Amino acid sequence: MDDVALILDSAARLSALLLFAALGELVAERAGTLNISVEAMLLGSAFSGALGSWLAGSALAGLATAILCGLLIASVQALLSHRLAVDQFITGLSLNLLALGVTSFLFASFDMDSESMGTFRVPLLADLPLVGDALFDQSWLFYLLYPLVPCTWWLLYRTRWGLQVRSVGENPESCEVTGIDVKKRRRQAISWCGLMCGLGGAYLSVGLIGSFTPNMTAGRGFIAIAAVIFGRWTIRGTVAACIVFGGTDALRLALPALGFELTPQLLIAAPYLLALVAMLLIRPGRQGPAALGRGYTEFA
Amino acid sequence: MLEIAGVTKRFGRILACDDVTLDVAAGEIRGLLGQNGAGKSTLMRVVGGVLRPERGTVKVDAEELPVGDPIKANAAGVGIVHQHFSLVEAHTVWENVTLGDEGALDRQAAIARVDELGERYGLAVDPRAVIHDLSPGERQRVEILKCLRREPKVIILDEPTSVLTRQEGQRLFGVLTALVRDTGRAVVLISHRLEEIMATTDRVTVLRDGRVVATHRTGDTTAEELAAEMLGRRLSLVDDRAAVGVSADELADLDVGRTASSVGREPVLELDGVTVTAADGHRLLDSLSLALRPGEIVGLAGVEGNGQQALVDLLSNVLTLDAGEVRVLGRRVAIGRRGALRDLAVIPADRQRSGVVLQMTVAENLVLNQLGSVSRHGVLRRQRIAVRARGLVEEYRISTAGVDAPVWTLSGGNQQRVVLARELSRGTPVLVVAQPTQGLDVGAMESVWTRLREAADRGVAVLVISSDVDEILDLSDRVAVIFGGRILGEMERSAVDTDRLGLLMGGVAS
Amino acid sequence: MSAAADVAPVDEATPGDSGALARRARWSDAGLFAVLLALALLLALALASALLAVADASPATVFDAIIDGSLGSAPALATTLNHTSLILVVAAGTCIAFRAGMVNIGQEGQLSIGGLTATAVALGLPFAGPWAVVIILLAGAAGGAIWAVAPAFLRFRRGVSEVVTTLLLNFVAFQAVSYAVNQPRLLQEDVRADSVTAPSPQSNRLPDDDMLPALSSGTGYRLHVGIVIAVVLALAVGFLIRRTTLGFRLRVFGFNPRAARRLDVKPGVMGGGALIASAAFAGLAGAVLLTGVTMRLQGGFSSGVYGSFSNNFGWEGLVVALVATYDPVYAIPVGFLFGALRAGSGALTATGISPTIAAVVQALVLIAVTVPALLIVQRRRRREVQALRRERI
Repeated sequence: MDDVALILDSAARLSALLLFAALGELVAERAGTLNISVEAMLLGSAFSGALGSWLAGSALAGLATAILCGLLIASVQALLSHRLAVDQFITGLSLNLLALGVTSFLFASFDMDSESMGTFRVPLLADLPLVGDALFDQSWLFYLLYPLVPCTWWLLYRTRWGLQVRSVGENPESCEVTGIDVKKRRRQAISWCGLMCGLGGAYLSVGLIGSFTPNMTAGRGFIAIAAVIFGRWTIRGTVAACIVFGGTDALRLALPALGFELTPQLLIAAPYLLALVAMLLIRPGRQGPAALGRGYTEFA
Repeated sequence: MLEIAGVTKRFGRILACDDVTLDVAAGEIRGLLGQNGAGKSTLMRVVGGVLRPERGTVKVDAEELPVGDPIKANAAGVGIVHQHFSLVEAHTVWENVTLGDEGALDRQAAIARVDELGERYGLAVDPRAVIHDLSPGERQRVEILKCLRREPKVIILDEPTSVLTRQEGQRLFGVLTALVRDTGRAVVLISHRLEEIMATTDRVTVLRDGRVVATHRTGDTTAEELAAEMLGRRLSLVDDRAAVGVSADELADLDVGRTASSVGREPVLELDGVTVTAADGHRLLDSLSLALRPGEIVGLAGVEGNGQQALVDLLSNVLTLDAGEVRVLGRRVAIGRRGALRDLAVIPADRQRSGVVLQMTVAENLVLNQLGSVSRHGVLRRQRIAVRARGLVEEYRISTAGVDAPVWTLSGGNQQRVVLARELSRGTPVLVVAQPTQGLDVGAMESVWTRLREAADRGVAVLVISSDVDEILDLSDRVAVIFGGRILGEMERSAVDTDRLGLLMGGVAS
Repeated sequence: MSAAADVAPVDEATPGDSGALARRARWSDAGLFAVLLALALLLALALASALLAVADASPATVFDAIIDGSLGSAPALATTLNHTSLILVVAAGTCIAFRAGMVNIGQEGQLSIGGLTATAVALGLPFAGPWAVVIILLAGAAGGAIWAVAPAFLRFRRGVSEVVTTLLLNFVAFQAVSYAVNQPRLLQEDVRADSVTAPSPQSNRLPDDDMLPALSSGTGYRLHVGIVIAVVLALAVGFLIRRTTLGFRLRVFGFNPRAARRLDVKPGVMGGGALIASAAFAGLAGAVLLTGVTMRLQGGFSSGVYGSFSNNFGWEGLVVALVATYDPVYAIPVGFLFGALRAGSGALTATGISPTIAAVVQALVLIAVTVPALLIVQRRRRREVQALRRERI
């Protein structure tokens, strides 16, 4: 029983990381940007979080620098792809390479000793059998997700801004004649993604590990993209996909320690394969926002 | 109510609106008439705040509108029913109707508002329905609701009937007239259909080359006068009358200029019980049968969206048959197999999208589908391509810097000439042309029609697919009407009865 | 019908005028490009120097070391050219995909799988030598190609963006390689009788006769024929795209799929074919890497970019294709530049600077070079879109 609780605990941590990034990516994609620089945002924030907490000697300062870094990378992506109209994939690709290079280089150049964020145990609830530790004994950044998930839903589906964001991802032309600034909404959606990734990066380096290692996100940004696709661009689906992907990751880490023979490679590859299978099964024709991945040029 | 003063708007070297001044009174329906490119839609986009003019002001109720802001223009009382692009297909009716609003999003209130508006104006639509599932008529209703939600003082309708059947169009104008009379709003109706303008409007303004040419009380003018003003010269030619939509009855007694004597006997293209089904199970073509003989021009009339696109796609070899057969020169062809329809030259309606490749050169576009004759063992012979291209540029008077200029540098009319030159020069026995003169100015229209007639005189079987009845009546030896993917009626040109034609296009097979 | 003459339609106002427009557009494009490029490169250089200053290194020393380590000696040049060959093969293939409008960003995975199949075939062949090398190279290409079949299927049967699928398959490919070299019954090296350590996650070494022939060799260096293969392939792809009917149809499809459909171009065949062909090039690069340099398949547990067999060559090939604006002939000099940068950064270790600075410089160069080029392309596209819309005034 303890083993199961342990695995659930680990799954919750890993899912949480994915969920931060995926909540951001979901909004960016609904606005029409297939934002592959989510990986750069996560990695950059993880590094700057560790750096900030080391320099200021406070985990909170790390959180602040991580968010700033997420927003900075987001603004570069937004500037290039939705102001200067550079292809969004190429922008994202460049940013990913840049983030990996810069963080690895700077990491090798400093001898960082980062602060770690404390955990918080919710009284009573944490004593629940099995899921208690997983859901209620975590780094306190983790608890932000409880309000963030409904908050993102509310933002997308219950606010004017959300309606406009969803509309620019479907039919930017009609939005323009209706008077919505298409590119501005898309830039804002990317900024939201940067903010979420800032939280996610800080959660990874400052909250979970307490230090930075080169390429520590190891492609989790891409898994977040896969989760959004697997979740068919809905909040509920995305959350479910993050839990599935985080869960397989946890199994990969936990099973060998528990003495199970298994091939770690298959488990690492599982989220990607699952995402591919999901795409195979989705009905053709309903493949996400109609204008996803397309740049936009205004009338005048 | 609406005062437009001295509005000027240019796009690069094109002057779309040149010092336009226009006043529309409360309770008035004003027609705005003009050829393609006369500046009607540009002017209305300026009024609606979508475009920012170089000069000029727009006032509603003596209040000057801020320029370049659709939401503010809307708040100030301007409502536009757009011709294209205005609805988000994946969203619901209520989301679309309230898309341009400001302030907090209130779902219940929005749904109630849509219901209330729909009831008040007789435009009922389910507010929770997704646009994707609605018919063109219903979508048009949503467009109008979207416009009315703000209680606009001025309503602008841009070619509102282009996607509607005649009956749907009449109902729309009924609603509109009642709306204006009862509430003292001002309406601007943009149209190129004279009949519509004559029947609905109080006054009419004619635009030409971006300038106001004339304004009349509708009762004091005639279709001929308006048409003449649109074109800027006396009407003396059949083509020009048809180009501006002078009603077909007035043309009936004129000499069409071609006789059917040159028409051969054996059909060169036969469609027999052709059925094509879309991916969603919807019938695009429904046991459609049609035959073309050498030297004849067959006009296929119909409201847009009744299977014309599918027919062109089928004849372009990009769809597969579900039933029936296609015979070319008497032989059955396997649709979908490579080269199966090489004896057909097809000019699609969306020429700029599927007829030319904008990024490639004029020369490359002119040999686009004739690579076999300009290559050896799969290697292009550039000399040959250049020679062929120069010849066609000369013959068809395509205005370009050279055959190596990318096609996007050409004007729209010249891009169309590229497609026409390429397809006509192939020398095929069958020519299929969809919307041959859509988007063309009068000069270009004449040359296209002349080319088509010349082709028929050479013995080519020509199928003209057009939603412009007058164009069909003027060009064709025989007229067929397509409705719901099938041929609803077919008649010789001399036997055409326009009332019956109208009914057929509306789906009434008497 | 001569009455048309006095109407003066807009599009015939001044004959030849559209040509002047085109010429003017081309000139202003070129000028703008030069200015933007110079600015961007300066900015990239400044950023790189700033980073080095943060790390307490002298930028001049570092740049000297990079140039010295890439061009300064015969071994340095050989390393540069060996790197160039891999990058260029990938880039040439990438040009095929992008010209067909297919965004393949799965080169890393395709290259890895190419290495995997090449290794399997090489170790399975009962003979070695020149013919074996040919077979191994083809096996690599086939392996890469297989890795693009699923993306092609999903794109043309399910409408799933190939960007996402090719990207995801990179990670699956890394794990497939890792799995193969960790399983004794698959490709993991045999345990030697005299060995006391456990076998490493790598394959057996290929027979020496399966080594790609050398063009030149000396102490500490060996220049293999990969660079010849790469240049020939780049030129061949250039010829294919510019001068053949197939290339013509490929370009039509890439620019305007709707027009291509009317030319009997089957989207699945052309687009899927281009995707698979580009993957085959990446797979071939994997086989060149195997037979030219590593001689065995290696792959750790890492699911990230580093530590995989592909070792970033796939990304760099993609980047080179982008910088060369999808023209394989331009990719030759650009590929050389990136090969040199890579070789030079390898030499940095001696200076005590983290060689990851090369990744930073590469990314900065990528942004510096692509942003101006793409801005120009985008400006042109914007004009096209607006020209299209103008028709609907």
